[in-house]
Amino acid sequence: MTGWPVDVAFWVLAVGAVWFGWRVFRTDSMVRATFALLVSFLDVGAIMVLLLAEYLGVALFFMMAVEMTVMAIFMVAYMMNPAGLNPMQMVHQPRVAVVAGVLAAAGLAAVAWFADLPSVALVAPQDTIRELGLEVMGESMILMQTAGITLLATMIGAVALTAAHGRFGEATSGSRPPRLDPDAEPVEQEMARPDPHAHHGGHG
Amino acid sequence: MTLVAVLVVAAALIGVGVWGVLSQQSFVMVMMGFELALNGVMLAAAGAWRFAAGGEPKGQVLVIVALFVMAIEAAIGFALVVAVYRRRQADTTEGIATMER
Amino acid sequence: MTPATLHPLLAVVVGGLVLAGGAVVVGALDAVVGAAVAGDPRPATAGVRAWRRVVLAWRRPGTVTERPDLVLWVVAPAAYVGVAALALAVLPLGDGIAIADVRTGIVVFGAVEVLAMVAVFLHGWAANSALALVGAYRFVAESLSFLLLSMFVLIAAALPAESMAFGEIVASQQGLWNVVRQPLGLPLFTVVALGTTFWGPLNLPDGADIATGTSLEVGGPAYIAWQVARRAMLAVYAIATSVVFLGGHLGPVLPGPVWLALKSVVVASGFVWLGHRVGRVPMDRFVRVAWTVLLPLSFLHLAVTGAVVLL
Repeated sequence: MTGWPVDVAFWVLAVGAVWFGWRVFRTDSMVRATFALLVSFLDVGAIMVLLLAEYLGVALFFMMAVEMTVMAIFMVAYMMNPAGLNPMQMVHQPRVAVVAGVLAAAGLAAVAWFADLPSVALVAPQDTIRELGLEVMGESMILMQTAGITLLATMIGAVALTAAHGRFGEATSGSRPPRLDPDAEPVEQEMARPDPHAHHGGHG
Repeated sequence: MTLVAVLVVAAALIGVGVWGVLSQQSFVMVMMGFELALNGVMLAAAGAWRFAAGGEPKGQVLVIVALFVMAIEAAIGFALVVAVYRRRQADTTEGIATMER
Repeated sequence: MTPATLHPLLAVVVGGLVLAGGAVVVGALDAVVGAAVAGDPRPATAGVRAWRRVVLAWRRPGTVTERPDLVLWVVAPAAYVGVAALALAVLPLGDGIAIADVRTGIVVFGAVEVLAMVAVFLHGWAANSALALVGAYRFVAESLSFLLLSMFVLIAAALPAESMAFGEIVASQQGLWNVVRQPLGLPLFTVVALGTTFWGPLNLPDGADIATGTSLEVGGPAYIAWQVARRAMLAVYAIATSVVFLGGHLGPVLPGPVWLALKSVVVASGFVWLGHRVGRVPMDRFVRVAWTVLLPLSFLHLAVTGAVVLL
């Protein structure tokens, strides 16, 4: 796709993506931060549609909306100040982070600007989806199978990490919450010390 | 809309993502920074596919791989956030000082 | 086959008319079918009497909650209608008539469902009210359960057409409608349609047990806008069901759009009738049934469809 409307659309979407990406970390309201990230993703998806990777762009809309909704739920659960009703500043090493971010962006942009990148025009713009389908089912099938197994392992791992029931009962039964004072003796050490009042089991 | 323009935008997204990852204290915000950086990577891959690779279908597969990475990282990341919170009552990077204990 | 598109200005007018007209038709059907189910002796005039409820709703008091998120509160219904319009844009309204019959039609439709989930979540979140937030969370849980259903059903419909565009899906039904050769598809898609518009049995976010949940603090014109948006979305889903399962605009004698309208009215009546006859499903039961029964059914449906297409 060429022409000035496409260029204008591209720049509007690009500026939107970067600006909303920046807003993610500057908003006080956590839910707004999550959906600002969603808007950034939607902008990138729209740019991909302009780049004629239609399926990828629309699949990005689909996937990112679900992911951001799940993330919003986690934000509300694990972040203080989810609605942004209090001003807050939750950053550490702010100057290091800014310098690192600027360096990363500038370095990559410099590579893009000064490198002699090849320029090969799109061979078959109307067949991009068909080519993707044939590729996924053909040469990249082993990649997809591996990704499938990896995703399965991820699902099992996520459930294993967070399940409240283990094989022998409640996962937290017999455990005690950690100490609030970081210098005190860890709870595990105290629990591992043999109890002087307990009767030892019979012999043999 | 040239290759350099797309790559510069992708670089900006990666830079904002890196800034987010390094500056945020909360685990979920660190994950959001990482997602933003992966967003930039996907955009760069799509741009390279379109302008520099002549529509080679493996370029689209690269974008899909980045999408997988994003999904896996989100799933395991959230599971770890929940697990760490249950064991250590910590929801910020300042809340856990060591990896053991 | 190149996708068909209308001139942009005409597209906006046609889309707006279909959405508005669809919402009015669904509202009228809702009143008439509701009256018939309730045993009203003159159900046909219930459509006219329903306007009185609209006037009453205009006077519904809205609450000024403490620190609501006003931006998101306004964005939510607008986003809901916006994605309904996007879904309508990818559906073919006649032979060669479509606002934007893109090649990735079913993926756009799936994205619309997800964005509708986001819109309802924001609608519940923005009010800064407990029951509204409960409604929003319920909708997210409910919605995640049927999103995968919709994708498998649409992919199964796309298999005989060898294309993800809705125009091709209609064309592939020249010989036999999908409702006959993919029997599980229509019931599963009905679940999705009722879910995305949180209608009847799946009205969990705005249910009466949480005192209309996400709409709790909303009053007057905003409430009417929200209900109109839901009805517009149900109209779009009725059109989508006709397109995907009942052959869309195919049919003898009458012009394409007229057939589509007739089929959509029949489907919308079906949805509305289900809304009045089936009680609201408890959330944990719906989630359990959706993940353990409906999702494997949709896998089976897709596998059988794939096998039939390959053989």
